[in-house]
Amino acid sequence: MTMAFSINRWVAWAPGLTEQDAWTRWFSEPHSLPAEGTPPLSEMPAMMRRRVERLGRFALQAAYGCQGDSPSVPVIFASRFGDISRSVDLLRQLAHSVPLSPTSFSLSVHNAIGALYSIARGDTSAYTAIAAGEETVEAAFTEASALLADGARDVLVVIYDEPLPGPLGHASGQMDFPRAWACWLRAGDEAPGYSLTCHPAEDTRDAPSSDGLPEDLTVLRFLVSSEARLDHKVGTRCWRWQRHA
Amino acid sequence: MLQLEQEIKKLVIETLHLEDITPDDIDPAAPLFVEGLGLDSIDALELGLALQKSYGVSLANDSKENRRHFASVRALADFVSAHRKA
Repeated sequence: MTMAFSINRWVAWAPGLTEQDAWTRWFSEPHSLPAEGTPPLSEMPAMMRRRVERLGRFALQAAYGCQGDSPSVPVIFASRFGDISRSVDLLRQLAHSVPLSPTSFSLSVHNAIGALYSIARGDTSAYTAIAAGEETVEAAFTEASALLADGARDVLVVIYDEPLPGPLGHASGQMDFPRAWACWLRAGDEAPGYSLTCHPAEDTRDAPSSDGLPEDLTVLRFLVSSEARLDHKVGTRCWRWQRHA
Repeated sequence: MLQLEQEIKKLVIETLHLEDITPDDIDPAAPLFVEGLGLDSIDALELGLALQKSYGVSLANDSKENRRHFASVRALADFVSAHRKA
C-alpha cells in the first residue's frame, strides 16, 4: 500500500531554532542544542498555559504556528515518549507515599497535550494521540493518510519529544533536546508530493543513524530537503519515504 | 486573620502557577471559581491538597460544605483557622 500526501506548510521549534531558515541551516550542520528556551505560547490563554510543561509548550507552539488562521482540521499529536517526566514524578511521589498532584495526574495521559489544544481553541475536530516507538512519525503519517483517504481535505500532524528524565535516560549517542514540528498535510495532488510505503527490510542489520539526529528530525530533514528518498529501517521493516516532483 | 488571608493568597498563586497575579490582585471576598479568579475543579483538588500539606486541614467529601469553604480566600482563611493542625 502506498500512502501519498503533500505538505502545504511546516513549522518547527527547538531551543534557539524557531524559523525555517534557521532549521535549514541547522540541518546542513546539526549540532546539539541547549535544553532551555521554552516557547512563549502566547496564543494560549494564560489560565490554560499555566498547566503546560516544557514538552507541551513546544508541541502546542508548533501546532498553533502551523495552524495559523486556518479553520479547524483533524489533528494528530504524536510523540514517542510523550510527557513521561510527569509520570516519572508521579511514580516517585507514590513511592514516597506523597499525595499526587491532581493537575499533574490529569495531564499525565498521552492525549493531554492534544486535549489542551482542543479545549483552548474550542475545537471539536477529530483528535488522535499516537505513540509507536521508533516508528512514531511513520504511524502518525499513516494515520494522517487514512484521514485524507477518508475525505479530510487537510490534516495537521504534530510531532514532539524531549530528553527522557533521569531514571529512564541513557546515553543513546543521539542528540537530544526538546523539540516539536508540525506539518499541514493535504491529499497527494499538490506539489511537492510525497509517498510513504512499508516493505520487509532486505537487510535487517541495524543501520546506525548517520549523524546522531533523533529519528523524528531525520524525517523532517528529508521532508524539507531536496533528497529523493529516505529509508528508515526498524527491525524487519523498512519504511520508505519518497519525494515526487 | 489578615495575615492568614495573605498566606492563602500566596499559596493559591504558587500552587496553581497563576501567571502575572500578585496577592494584592486577589480580592479576599471575591469568588475563586468560575467567575472572579476563574479557577476550575482540578484547581479545587490541587488547592485542597496544598491546604492539607500546609495546615493539616482535611476536606470532607461533602461537596456542599466544600463549596462554602472554597467560596473565597476569606472563606478558606476562616476554615483553616478553625481546623488547622499545623
